[in-house]
Amino acid sequence: MIPQEYFLALASILFVIGAYGVLTRKNAIVVLMCIELMLNAANINFVTFAAFRNDPTGQVFALFSIAIAAAEVAVGLAILLNLQKTQDTINLEDIKLLRW
Amino acid sequence: MIDFTPVLPAMMLGGVALLVPAVRMLTKSDKATGIASLAGIVASMLLVFYWFYNGSHMAVFENMLRIDAFSALFMLIFLFVALYVVIASLRFVDGLKHTGEYYALVMLATAGMMVVAMSMDLITLFVGIEITSLSSYSLVAFRKKDKLGAEAATKYFIIGGLSSALSLFGISLIYGATGQVNFQAVASAVAALHGMDPVLILAIVMIVAGFGFKVAIVPFQMWAPDVYEGAPTTITAMLASGSKKMGFIALFKVFIIGLVAIKADWSMMIGIVAIATMTLGNVIAISQTSIKRMLAYSSIAQAGYILIVLPIAVVGDPTVAQYGLAGGIFHMMTHAFMKGGAFIIVAGLATAALGEHINDYKGLYRRAPLMAFAMTIMLFSLAGIPPLAGFASKFVLFSGAIYASNLAGEQWLLWLAVAAIINSAISLYYYARVVKYMYLDEGPKDKLKIAPAFGVAVAVCVVAVILIGVFPDPFIQACQEAAKAFFLP
Repeated sequence: MIPQEYFLALASILFVIGAYGVLTRKNAIVVLMCIELMLNAANINFVTFAAFRNDPTGQVFALFSIAIAAAEVAVGLAILLNLQKTQDTINLEDIKLLRW
Repeated sequence: MIDFTPVLPAMMLGGVALLVPAVRMLTKSDKATGIASLAGIVASMLLVFYWFYNGSHMAVFENMLRIDAFSALFMLIFLFVALYVVIASLRFVDGLKHTGEYYALVMLATAGMMVVAMSMDLITLFVGIEITSLSSYSLVAFRKKDKLGAEAATKYFIIGGLSSALSLFGISLIYGATGQVNFQAVASAVAALHGMDPVLILAIVMIVAGFGFKVAIVPFQMWAPDVYEGAPTTITAMLASGSKKMGFIALFKVFIIGLVAIKADWSMMIGIVAIATMTLGNVIAISQTSIKRMLAYSSIAQAGYILIVLPIAVVGDPTVAQYGLAGGIFHMMTHAFMKGGAFIIVAGLATAALGEHINDYKGLYRRAPLMAFAMTIMLFSLAGIPPLAGFASKFVLFSGAIYASNLAGEQWLLWLAVAAIINSAISLYYYARVVKYMYLDEGPKDKLKIAPAFGVAVAVCVVAVILIGVFPDPFIQACQEAAKAFFLP
């Protein structure tokens, strides 16, 4: 049996990679992918804790959050498509009509 | 057999939201669509009233959702926000495409907020927050040709996605440390841990960051002015007065109920963040030249005031804690009307071709006397001048901090009240400046024609602000009831 720590380490590494990507990448699509990585890291946590505690709640939570992440991508891609149409870029450094 | 009656208001609102685009398609009339959504909101309100006055608190779905005085009060606040936003939108989105979807998204966002108000565990809390967030991302992007709107929506979406990911990771750590998702069960499991679990510290940091983005507290506030400026102004009103309150409810539920046993680890941190938030919001608001950005920074400052409730509501003395929480609820209620009302006035004036620069408001008194008067009421109420609602709620809120420092023996809480009062004085400067521009300075002489729909929406807010300010007692009573219900297991 693989110990719990291995799964949690995997989740933490995925989360940190995602967070690093969100903070440093300039392409909005890549940032969106990094956010998905972070959400999935949390899902791995839920499923791991659920499996090692024999408690289905965590798995239910993971299912909910997968559904939400899917909806989030749909909305997000539409928003980025609209950004591309109006400003002809999806580079986050190029959008500065509003002072950040 | 599950009894669905308690969740009927939210379910009905969601159902009407799905019907509204069909109404638009069949009638081809924007007005009819708007009125259909108004009917849905009012019917939902009546159902909540029915529950509120039947006084029972009742849990459904294995105690995942509960309707009680707390959730009923907040559902009414959210529905009132939706009501005046939809009334103002009758004119604001007139002539745009896809109005059916617009109204549907406003109502879905409100339904999500209602789910958060009712939530009793982390799953429903997270799902409710996401329903609201996804709807509001789309609403911010609603004017598709508008460059500012597209940019604001992108920023809002990326920050929102990051905040969801952070809070979900934090929630997963809480679940890992306690094995529970229900707030009361989390509370007893945390209390049973004896001593500090480092996992929980990490979870607290993640959740403060995640929900902190949603309510725009320092240092997670930088998105708010951009998004508030770029979004359609009626939607800004909804973000500032609806979805911000939802973030606070989430913070209240997780911290005051779930993590109360380890309050020593977070109450001082939240207190410092609160002082930083109100100071930064007020100081930067002084230098703003766009009225929407100024109101956005003032909204950040108000978030700082509300945040002082978290350390107060966990002091040892239950009556003091309840009074403190009631103050926070009361301020959230009045803020929903005064800040939302101010944004609706800006929207109405913008529709009448007035700019959004503060200088454009010079001499407004002669051009649109009623709107200038309403704006004065809203701004003075935000500053906390009696006899308006903002004064009453700030009084209850700050006196809660003073009681807590005197009676519950937590001396440092006094500094929260001191900082909040000094900040209120600073904020008077930039609110009064707008009033001076409107009444004392000379501007163009031509009259502005304000659409009746805006008149009605603004009137709702003005009446609420004056009514709450002059007769605060029943409202304070309702907030006390809500706070009491909040602490019940």
